[in-house]
Amino acid sequence: MSATDDQKVTIGNYIALAFAVAFFSGLLQSNEWYGVFDFTTLNGTFGSIAGGMFRGTGGDGARDGFLFALTLVPTCMFALGMINVLEHFGALKAARKLLSPLLRPLMGLPGSSGLALIGSLQNTDTGAGLTKNLMEDGELTEKESEIFTAFQFSGGALIVNFFSSGAVLFTLTNADGSMAVPTSIGLTVGVMFIFKIIGANILRLILKAQDKKVNAQAKVA
Amino acid sequence: MTQASSSAPKKMITDVFVEGARKGWNIGAMSTIPNVMMAFIIIKALNVTGALTALGALFQPLMVLVGLPGEGAAVLMGAIMSMGGAVGIVMGLFSEGILTGEHIAILAPAIYLMGSTIQYAGRILGVIGTRGSLYPILFGICIANGFMAMFVMNLLV
Repeated sequence: MSATDDQKVTIGNYIALAFAVAFFSGLLQSNEWYGVFDFTTLNGTFGSIAGGMFRGTGGDGARDGFLFALTLVPTCMFALGMINVLEHFGALKAARKLLSPLLRPLMGLPGSSGLALIGSLQNTDTGAGLTKNLMEDGELTEKESEIFTAFQFSGGALIVNFFSSGAVLFTLTNADGSMAVPTSIGLTVGVMFIFKIIGANILRLILKAQDKKVNAQAKVA
Repeated sequence: MTQASSSAPKKMITDVFVEGARKGWNIGAMSTIPNVMMAFIIIKALNVTGALTALGALFQPLMVLVGLPGEGAAVLMGAIMSMGGAVGIVMGLFSEGILTGEHIAILAPAIYLMGSTIQYAGRILGVIGTRGSLYPILFGICIANGFMAMFVMNLLV
């Protein structure tokens, strides 16, 4: 079974992917009606208790850390709940279909790595296991697997890790109640994804340089 | 995961959401809360001993290149151990007024690009069977990715 075309990707899957991109991008963040399609808007805010925050002010150490961490849990639950729904509608299947033909030009990898690549964004062990299988099946050469490893190692399990801890950073507010972080979840995920690809290409160049050196030495010998 | 959900009997969309939210709860309870709490304890310990100020002064020349105060280095060091822990350190420093929202925007991608690499050396490099000679290069790429991302974010925010 080929790892890339084992499942048909439907128009619904693409719609789910487009929805996922819009939902987490922050483009629709608003208290207008279209805010219903935005993660940060629906994630909402905590209310205040007797003029202060639920967490209180001026705390520190383990106790403050615990209360603060407790405030992160709803965002984490909401984000992973939504990712599960989007996955159910095939958003990741559509992402794999769109990515597979791009793998060769972007990182010099065969399209059959698409499933492992999407898997690695959700879970490092899935990515590593699938990569090992691809190598054993002869789908990846040693060099390709090393380039692919560089992609997976930097920003491992990016989607799940980021949405279970990083997304909450974007809900922080200043003392005056305004949003503290002046950028969106979408931009941050985009930057990370681009640098994961750049990192893989840095290794690609290093391996190429090493090969040249070995060949030159072989010629001299 | 996708295969299993498509072949199983039709689930209510609400059930699918709840299943994911439950995963979020498990991550929150088992990973986020302990990690963030540990990070707050570390920040407290660094503050009490004066080490945070020393760390800030030591890394100031490097961190200033990407628009961060020296204490931002504590976040990156924490990230190499644990991404969730680093987020806790960010929160602790934000509470102390040492990091602003702009600083957090710069740090966010770097935390993940160089994050949890100590742990992932076993779980990714070990499992795939990467050559030992590539380990330092791969760690270097993660750190370089983090710094390049901070540089770009500094220009964007």
